[in-house]
Amino acid sequence: MTKILIVEDNEMNRDMLTRRLQRHGFEICTAIDGASGISAAESEMPDLILMDVALGEMDGWEATTHIKANPRTVKIPIITLTAHALSSDHRKSLEVGCVDFDTKPVDMQRLLGKINNALTAHAAG
Amino acid sequence: MNFSTSKLTTALDRAVDWFIPASLAADKDLRKQARLFLISHLMGPFIGNTVPLSLYLFDPTPSWDIAILSLSITGFWVFPFILKAIGHYHTLALISIQNLMFCILWSCYFYGGVTSPTLPWVLTIPLLAFFYIGDSARLRYIVLAMFGANFVAFGLLSYFVSPPEHGMPVAALQGLGIVSTVAAAAYVTMMAVYYARALASQVELEAVMRHQRTTAQHLRIAAVEADRASKAKAEFLAKMSHELRTPLNAVIGYSQMLLEEAEDTGDFEDVPDIERIHAAGAHLLRLVNNVLDLSKIEAGHMDLYIEDFCLETVLRTAVEEARGQADTNGNTLNVTVEPGIPMVHGDQMKTQAVISNVVQNAAKYTQNGRVDVTCRHIALAAGDAMRIEVRDTGIGIDADDLPNIFEQFAVVDDETSTKYGGTGVGLALTRELCRMMSGTIEAASVRGKGSTFAITLPMVMSERRREAAPLHTILALEKSLYPEGKDPQGSFSDVSQKVA
Repeated sequence: MTKILIVEDNEMNRDMLTRRLQRHGFEICTAIDGASGISAAESEMPDLILMDVALGEMDGWEATTHIKANPRTVKIPIITLTAHALSSDHRKSLEVGCVDFDTKPVDMQRLLGKINNALTAHAAG
Repeated sequence: MNFSTSKLTTALDRAVDWFIPASLAADKDLRKQARLFLISHLMGPFIGNTVPLSLYLFDPTPSWDIAILSLSITGFWVFPFILKAIGHYHTLALISIQNLMFCILWSCYFYGGVTSPTLPWVLTIPLLAFFYIGDSARLRYIVLAMFGANFVAFGLLSYFVSPPEHGMPVAALQGLGIVSTVAAAAYVTMMAVYYARALASQVELEAVMRHQRTTAQHLRIAAVEADRASKAKAEFLAKMSHELRTPLNAVIGYSQMLLEEAEDTGDFEDVPDIERIHAAGAHLLRLVNNVLDLSKIEAGHMDLYIEDFCLETVLRTAVEEARGQADTNGNTLNVTVEPGIPMVHGDQMKTQAVISNVVQNAAKYTQNGRVDVTCRHIALAAGDAMRIEVRDTGIGIDADDLPNIFEQFAVVDDETSTKYGGTGVGLALTRELCRMMSGTIEAASVRGKGSTFAITLPMVMSERRREAAPLHTILALEKSLYPEGKDPQGSFSDVSQKVA
């Protein structure tokens, strides 16, 4: 079963994403901040990470940089979730090495498409 | 006495200023001295010539010395022209003072020596010298030396050569004394009045300048305050945006989750209510986002991010976002893209937002009609541009309202707002985004027939074809185009002029 790590500090968003993705057959593990996200990436070795950008102390981009710096976790595809589409956040996401980005609130069909693309590309690469 | 309203003084002022050469006009003090010098020389001969004239009348045997005196006095009229032609103000002033001394001492020599009726004119010498040369110590010493030399010269002259006898009666001498004293007094009065006036206008000018300095200071303080307020506002909005969106995301997300669950379980009883919660949440989020984006643009906190992107993909994505709304209202939604639209160089997210806003509006304000979206390449004077037209068969906009639809919080009327859920922010934001991208948005409409919105965005055609367009490649290309730390906005504005 495909395992997805959700790094999200807001309890409701975490709960919502977990349940909706579980319904689509994913195995979900969660982390509540950047630091625990980095350690969970290494301990859980998920197939994909959904990374919230606004995480408080350490933001999603910084956590991504750490995960990409670790040889064990460097290959895990990461999709960032940003609050709003108009800003430049998507650019920064790609710059720090994320494979894609999406905006909240999540449109499940769109997110599923992005997850599948990322997993396919990862399997191929 | 109000001199400023007098036509004569105005004309005189103009004449005086006409004689002042450019080299003097720049210096405030020199200009003031030159003005006094000029007024004295322009008016002086009129007053001064009363003396030779009365001498001629009173003297039973007028002689050549009166002609010399009159010539010398009239000679003052030459000075302004020399000043205008060659400048050398201080030299001219000294020569003029010399001429004045000569005139006075000359008339004294011929008419009564130390008891001469023209003696009061001696008083004008230091006065005029002070007016002409200001507070230059060196020039004052020169004037003093000239004064002494002239007295000595005429003293010696009268000691060794007796002046000719005129045989003027005492009554004539008295009359001459009155004329001469009155003329000298009139002359001094004229100069004093003019000096006082110049001084007053200078004081006035300085008061105005002081006032303006204070105003400028206030403006600087106000600008700093405004800047601080604007920064505080932007900060507040950034914080608020997070605080508002988080609960809204929960409302939207959970309602959507309930809809998905209903889909799974087949229990559709609550679906219409949940759909309403979801739609209301989405509406509120859109409103919040629009208001925040507008505020960001107004505070100058939104920048352009230029990248290569496929315009057709962006267009179709934006249109698809409105598909749900169009379906709900029973509209057909068609997209026509001119073949061969290449990869373009621009702000992808903002382009998509602009198109999306307009198409969603069209879908929202049209019932059981059609929405046609066309995209084509046009050539503007400034370069390539894309024209996206969104034509609907919806409710339309009154001609009276049309000019205002891009203003903030301008919804056509309350009824429309209630029925169609307009908030009056979407189009204002759309126009601001177009402006940021140096583009335009125009609207044409007929009430009851439909509306057409035309978006024109300058776009640089990217040289790369759309086949090779995964995001990573674009990013790599951009990095090579914009070396570290360079704002891509700069290179965009090279291509087309930035508006507002």
